[in-house]
This record gives sequence, structure tokens and C-alpha cells, in this order.
Amino acid sequence: MTNVNPKARFLYIPALLLLGACCCDKEVVTTPPPPPPPPPAAPVAAVVAPMSDVFFDFDRSELTASTQSQLKTNAAWLSANAKKSVILEGHCDERGTNEYNMALGERRAQSAKEYLVNLGINPSRLKTVSFGEEKPFDPGHNEEAWAKNRRVHFVEE
Amino acid sequence: MRNTRIPIVRTIIALCCMLMLPLMLRAEEVKEKEYIVIRKQGTERISIVLDKSAAKGDRESEWARSLDATIKGGLDFTGLFNLMAAPGNIRNAQDGTINFGAISSVGSDIYVTGAVSKKSGEPNLDMQVYDITGKQLLNRKYTGTDKQLREIGLRFCSDLIELLTGKKSVFGTKIVFVSNRTGFKEIYMCDFDGQNIEQITSSRSISLTPAVSQDGKYLAWTDYTSGRPDLYIKNLSTKTTAALRKPGVCIDPGWLPGKDECATTLSIDGDQEIYLVKADGTLSRRLTKSRGIDVSPTFSPEGSRMAFVSTREGKPHIFIQDLKTGNVHRLTFSGNYNTQPAWSPAGDKILYSSMQKNGEINIFMINADGSGLLQLTSGTKANEYPSWSPDGSMIVFTSNRQGRRKLFVMNADGTNQRALLQMDGEQQQPSWSIIR
Repeated sequence: MTNVNPKARFLYIPALLLLGACCCDKEVVTTPPPPPPPPPAAPVAAVVAPMSDVFFDFDRSELTASTQSQLKTNAAWLSANAKKSVILEGHCDERGTNEYNMALGERRAQSAKEYLVNLGINPSRLKTVSFGEEKPFDPGHNEEAWAKNRRVHFVEE
Repeated sequence: MRNTRIPIVRTIIALCCMLMLPLMLRAEEVKEKEYIVIRKQGTERISIVLDKSAAKGDRESEWARSLDATIKGGLDFTGLFNLMAAPGNIRNAQDGTINFGAISSVGSDIYVTGAVSKKSGEPNLDMQVYDITGKQLLNRKYTGTDKQLREIGLRFCSDLIELLTGKKSVFGTKIVFVSNRTGFKEIYMCDFDGQNIEQITSSRSISLTPAVSQDGKYLAWTDYTSGRPDLYIKNLSTKTTAALRKPGVCIDPGWLPGKDECATTLSIDGDQEIYLVKADGTLSRRLTKSRGIDVSPTFSPEGSRMAFVSTREGKPHIFIQDLKTGNVHRLTFSGNYNTQPAWSPAGDKILYSSMQKNGEINIFMINADGSGLLQLTSGTKANEYPSWSPDGSMIVFTSNRQGRRKLFVMNADGTNQRALLQMDGEQQQPSWSIIR
């Protein structure tokens, strides 16, 4: 192949492709006719992700970056569903003492509420309540369970 | 050459004197009633020969057995006594008089004896207490119906404790606590020794942190029946209940001695602060002013100072506030998570729970001036929510050392830790008080 004219070399690939195309001509695939256009749909709200829990570090009520991100998603839902009010439930994991955790749960709910208010949600639509460590999501006794329990849970009223 | 023998002798004498000091008895004479209060220094128990009560007749003998069991159980519960049965030669064979030599020969200091008779169909208990010199310290009759045998026996125990220690006792006091036996967290009450458990609330929701006022008139607690934490205050004689419902939390009440007011944490002003609330559920005044969590108020017995948990300096620690001046200073510096303070009835000590680096929670005791930190529990997962008996001699707390959360009691020096009662489910948040 060393003595082939270099100018001819760049014709090889197109030639092979043409050959391949010619070979494939044996099966003719006819595209079906396009389906008729769907009838005009009733107007729907923009599809937004539903609200979801946000999570916290141990003994903290500050918002982590991922919590802020989820809160933005929740705010989008709230904006798209302007007639709805929600309850922000603050929760803690089972460690630490019940009474302190009641107060901490509330701080978490308040923290989340303030962020949503700053994003433009009317505070009258956002109620907060703390359950401390009384209603864990995961009854397990390990860090995996505890991380799921340190949360603010959103409930439509 | 210096004679080295004399300094050595002096040293030995001085050493002996120092060693003898802890063994010295302190006797206080109380003139009016002519009894001697014997209190040994250190943790030695008082040795008592507890004789069986004499009784003639089937009914009387049955009562005597029940009374003796109550008295023995009651005295045993306090952890203050070595109880011994009467030796065979306790009575002189000829005339039936008491052989006091027999008492001291078994190493005892006190002899207790009694007789049960029937008067108008009802039990009559005659009790006498003697010291080893034969001096009669107590001679008293106790009566009641045959349904009140336990109260009769405990009344004697209470008199005996007061006689021998000069102090009030735990008999007749009650413990309120939370249990999820029914599947819901409800408030219960039991006697000082865990008997006679009674269900107080039936919220079928979540009821938490019960607290009885020091005079035994009111019970306060947090209740979620409305869907949020409200404060309920029940008058225990009229049985009426007032409610404090505010946006945010209404949690963790602590009673102010001498007033019909309790302190509680509310967040009506945007932050978790401690407020005083009247027993009728109306707001009295705000006590704390600081960003962060302020929770779990407990008061000194004269009602002038409040210890509480605050995160004003970062991690939760115990602080003390002077109620007149409003000045606040920090009490705990050791550890990173100190909560659940309880001020002793004598005013000198504060108990609290501390979560340690390895995740264990343990109960600590500190003097109200911040000195003398002592650890009372260790090595067993979570020990928390300490509460003093009204006489300051014992502590009830929650422990999960046997798996699930149960109520435990111990003497005020941390010794003699044992479970208080058997009950299904988990028990927690005990509060020990008198009930009127």
C-alpha cells in the first residue's frame, strides 16, 4: 500500500461507504407516514417537580448547599401552585435530648421557611411545626437512619 | 546527734488523729421531742433490727404480714439502712422484756418493734423504736381502714426516716413520666417505688415532659392533640385543664417555686426563648433574651435563680440567670452538649445530662457555684433526664442500659442504681414530686 497515490487515499472511506450503502439497498425500509397531529390539549400548568424533604447536619439548622438547591425546587412548586399552603415539619434524629430537639426541629423549619420567603413565597402560606425526634422517618439506630431523620418535611395543607 | 524517734512518734499520732476523724459520730439533740438524730459521716448505712409485728388472730396476723412487708420494702428502697431480722434472744425468756444486748451484739444501732390489733374492725398499728441503750425514741399509733395498709406502713417509714435523719423522705411522693405502652406517648403517674401506676392522659397523640409544681397542685405538659405542641396545665384537685396555644412551640415546662407559674419555651417572638406562664394559661413575662435556643428551665428552691440550656455561646450548655437582676452566667464548661438541668431541693447542686464524644449520654452533678463536677453514670449508652426526689435523697432518670428506655433510680451520690418499675413499652422523662 506504500506506493498508492496519496491523493487517492482520501477516496477510500467514501468509496467503502458507497459500497456499503449499495449493499444495504437490498432491504428497503420505508418510513411510515407521519401520524396525524394530536388534537390540541387542554391547557396544563407547567410540569414542576413535586416538593421533597430537605436535610441537615447533626445539631445544626443551617442550610447546606444541597438543601438550598432542593428548597429552590420546592419554591418552584409553590410558585406554580399559588393556591396551596404547606406545613414545614422540623424533625431531628434520636440522639440528643427530646426537649432540646423540639427546639432544634423548629429552628430547622424556620430556617427553611426564611429561605423560601426570600425566594418570594408569601410567608402566610408557610406554617412551621416541630416534632423534635418524635416522628422519625427511619427507625434505625445508625448514621444512615439518623441522616434521613434530620429533615424538614413538607406537607400540603 | 538528733534524736529521730520523737518526730516519728508525733507523725504517727497525727496520722492516727487524721484517720479517726471520718469515724467520729455527730449527734444532734433536738430538745423538744427528746430524740437523738444519729448521722454517720460517709456513706455508711444505719443498721436496724426490724422485728416482726406481734399479732393475735387470723385477720390481725394477715395485716401484720402486709404491714411488715410494706415497712421492710419501704425502708429498703431508700438505700439508707441495713435491715436485720431480730436475733433469737431478742426477748428475755423470763419476762419478755427487750434484751438490748442482743441488738448491739448483731452490730445494730436501732430496734424497731410493733404490734397489730383490731379496733372497730379496722387495723391498728402500734410502733416503738429504741436505741441500743434502751431509750425509747418513738411510740406511735397508726390507724386506717384495711384498704390503707400500705399508707399506714409508709407513714411509719416516713416518721422513722425523719427521726433518724432529721429529713423528709420519699414515702408518699409520686413520679410522673411518659410511656408509649398504648402505642401513643401518654403521661402516667406511679408511687415513689414504682407501684400503683396510673394513666393520666389519653391524648392518643403525643404527650411529653410532665412537670408537677413543688406544692403538688398542678401538672404541666406538652400535648400534640391539636397537631402542634401546646402547653396544658391541669389543676390536680379541681381536675380542670388550661391550655396555652401559640404559634411555634410551647414546650418543656419547669415550675417556679412559691408561685402558681411555670416557665416554658415559646417561639412567639421568632426565637426559642423562656417565658413565665400562669397556671391559668396566660402569659406572665419573658425571661430570656438571646438568639439561639433557650430551653429546659429549672429553679433554685427559693425561686430566685433559674438554670437552663442555651446555645447563646454555640453548643448547648447550662446557664444560670438571676431572676431579679437578669444577669446570666455560664455554669458548664466541660463537654460539648449539656442539657436537662435539675436544681436540687436543697439548692446546692444541679444535675444535668451530657452527651460525650463517643455518643454516650451520662448524668453529671455540679455544685450550683460551678465547682465539684461529678459523673454519676457511665459506660451504658444513654442515661438522661435526671429528676430529684422532693427530699433530695434520690434521683430518678431514664436509661436504655437494658435495651429499651426504662426508669431507673439511684441514691443522690450515684450509688444503688436499679430499675424502678416493670412496664411494657418505653418509659422516659420522669419527674418526682409530692402530689396533693
